[in-house]
Amino acid sequence: MAAVATGGTGAESSGSMAAAASKSNVTSFQRRGTRASGTDSGGPRLVSIAGTRPSVRNGQLLVSTGLPALDQLLGGGLAVGTVLLIEEDKYNIYSPLLFKYFLAEGIINGHTLLVASAKEDPADILQELPAPLIEENCKKEFDKDECNRKTPESNIKMKIAWRYQLLPKMEQVKPTSSSRFGHYYDASKRIPQELIEASKWHGFFLPEKISSPLKVEPCSLTLGYIMLLQFIQNIIYEEGFDGSNPQKKQKNILRIGIQNLGSPLWGDDICCTDNCDNSHSLTKFLYVLRGLLRNSLSACIITMPTHLIQNKAVIARVTNLSDTVVGLESFIGSERETNPLYKDYHGLIHIRQIPRLNNLICDESDVKDLAFKLKRKLFTIERLHLPPDLSDTVSRSSKQDLAESAKLLGPGCGMMAGGKKHLDF
Amino acid sequence: MLESLLALGGLVLLRDSVEWEGRSLLKALIKKSALCGEQVHILSCEVSEEEFREGFDSYINSRLVYHDLFRDPLNWSKTGEAHPGGPLGALRAMCRRTDPGPVTIALDSLSWLLLHLPCTTLCQTLHALSHQDSCLGDSSPVGQVHVLGLLHEELHGPGPVGALSSLAQTEVTLGGAMDRASAHILCRRPQQCPTHQTHWFSILPDFSLVLQEGPPLELKANPDPHTSLVDPTSHLTFNLHLSKKEREARDSLTLPFQFSSEKQQALLHSRPGQATSHIFYEPDAYDDLDQEDPDDDLDI
Repeated sequence: MAAVATGGTGAESSGSMAAAASKSNVTSFQRRGTRASGTDSGGPRLVSIAGTRPSVRNGQLLVSTGLPALDQLLGGGLAVGTVLLIEEDKYNIYSPLLFKYFLAEGIINGHTLLVASAKEDPADILQELPAPLIEENCKKEFDKDECNRKTPESNIKMKIAWRYQLLPKMEQVKPTSSSRFGHYYDASKRIPQELIEASKWHGFFLPEKISSPLKVEPCSLTLGYIMLLQFIQNIIYEEGFDGSNPQKKQKNILRIGIQNLGSPLWGDDICCTDNCDNSHSLTKFLYVLRGLLRNSLSACIITMPTHLIQNKAVIARVTNLSDTVVGLESFIGSERETNPLYKDYHGLIHIRQIPRLNNLICDESDVKDLAFKLKRKLFTIERLHLPPDLSDTVSRSSKQDLAESAKLLGPGCGMMAGGKKHLDF
Repeated sequence: MLESLLALGGLVLLRDSVEWEGRSLLKALIKKSALCGEQVHILSCEVSEEEFREGFDSYINSRLVYHDLFRDPLNWSKTGEAHPGGPLGALRAMCRRTDPGPVTIALDSLSWLLLHLPCTTLCQTLHALSHQDSCLGDSSPVGQVHVLGLLHEELHGPGPVGALSSLAQTEVTLGGAMDRASAHILCRRPQQCPTHQTHWFSILPDFSLVLQEGPPLELKANPDPHTSLVDPTSHLTFNLHLSKKEREARDSLTLPFQFSSEKQQALLHSRPGQATSHIFYEPDAYDDLDQEDPDDDLDI
């Protein structure tokens, strides 16, 4: 993996225990985290890269996706050297938000960005990034959301449990933006201009690059993909993300964002026809891209309009070739919009695949029914809660509706609403 | 309705079918744009020029810039009238216009272009056409570009139709009931939820649009099943409600281990620098406040 490959003389702070053990032959038991003098005196002082942390499970170096809720669902974050594929929702409203959160996280942490798009100019995409929430503001945000829901009974002083009056309310974990991993963003505000100017970014806008064609050998990849791969390879090599200029430069992460991959604007007709000429173009692109990522300190986010791809086998291949796959399904325009089960949420989020990196098992969470909602400023992912099952005075037909719609949810929801018949206890 | 279709700019996709044709709506939009003073380019592939210009008055006809691809699409007669690049060349020439001001480009029809050009090329060219205002290097104020495309949706599979509709800012699907035409309009504003609307209309011979009432809808057969909220506290064998007197009695009840309020406050806000500890004594109902030592009675 990238962490080990670019290790060189000093092991990264991700705690590769084998490398450390070989130096100090006393014991292979090393404490993770900050090493205070002691055992590892031979190697140089370990420098950790800003915005990364080792995974607690397998020591893999992780970066944040920009949404701490999504980080938690993916097992701590996105592993460096892997691809996060977002399957776009039908009208492409929420997937650009996840894309922008990823890029904004890169700017806040000082990572280098590479933005590729065939639809919008990367400079315009960067202008629309959300602003980070600073700690005092975000406490105010949460309090504002809280008092909208406050009921009058909670203000009465407690008579029996009066000792608990002074304890703080523990309903919601207040986010602290001062943490170095995972920040919160305000989706209604734009990122300040000086942050964008202070950051280092490279843009790839396909219509501009196509107008000045390079000499490319014909192969089965479409022209847009070839140019993008060459661009990424050049950036990785020139800026030393693959360890080619190791000495003076401080190590940094390259965050790559590719928007609307597979849409006809990239020159790929996988969305247009069922059996097309370049049916392997997209899969080859993903394969080569993953090879580039594995050899460098980079992480990539790709949004893909999979609802337009006609051939289902291609979707399965694309899922296998990516590491982490998250699908968004919004309720707009579907019959679920009016369903009372879903009235608090804007859509469902499906974690379709989590990679097994140097492991035999992967880190999936037990919760399979996740829904997201875009509040005024924040994007939250929550577990879908069913409304309470009412008593037997409810008419049979409405119960069957609820049961029918609840059957569409996964098994993690509780068997209460599953099944057609209402059992009388 | 026509103003709302032309308000957004970008690609307006008109999806029609054999029963509900869309060319008259396209011509109504062209007439509206011409009357607004915009420059109108027409790329006509399916009907002849005379047939297309029929129904427009002379003022509008003079404002139309007509590119004819119907008569000689492959340029066989070599008269030099047809565009040298074929349909793709004609489209790309329209991308490179230099004069400012709002312009409307009508493509009649996109189905013909889809059959003669690869879908990806057409999508890329349409995207370049509809985003011309952002692509100009200098900051000269170029007006909005409207691209009106007529698509016969029965001719294509779901792939090309889906690809084109994902590019479109506004999508109008023509349908109808009985003999009234309806237009289902889907507007995609950037970063906002898309809006759906349905209008019933008819087009007069001079291509002006008249909005109409829809046909009488049939009554909804099943009533809304989610309206009845059942109160679970009714029909119980025990009483869950409290009357006012009962509530007062409950409030005034002294709890068994209740402290006085001073002791409560002292325990809640315990001062850390307190060296001595306080003894709080509250006499119970059974406490005897007699100061005499009861052990004095014992005769030892």
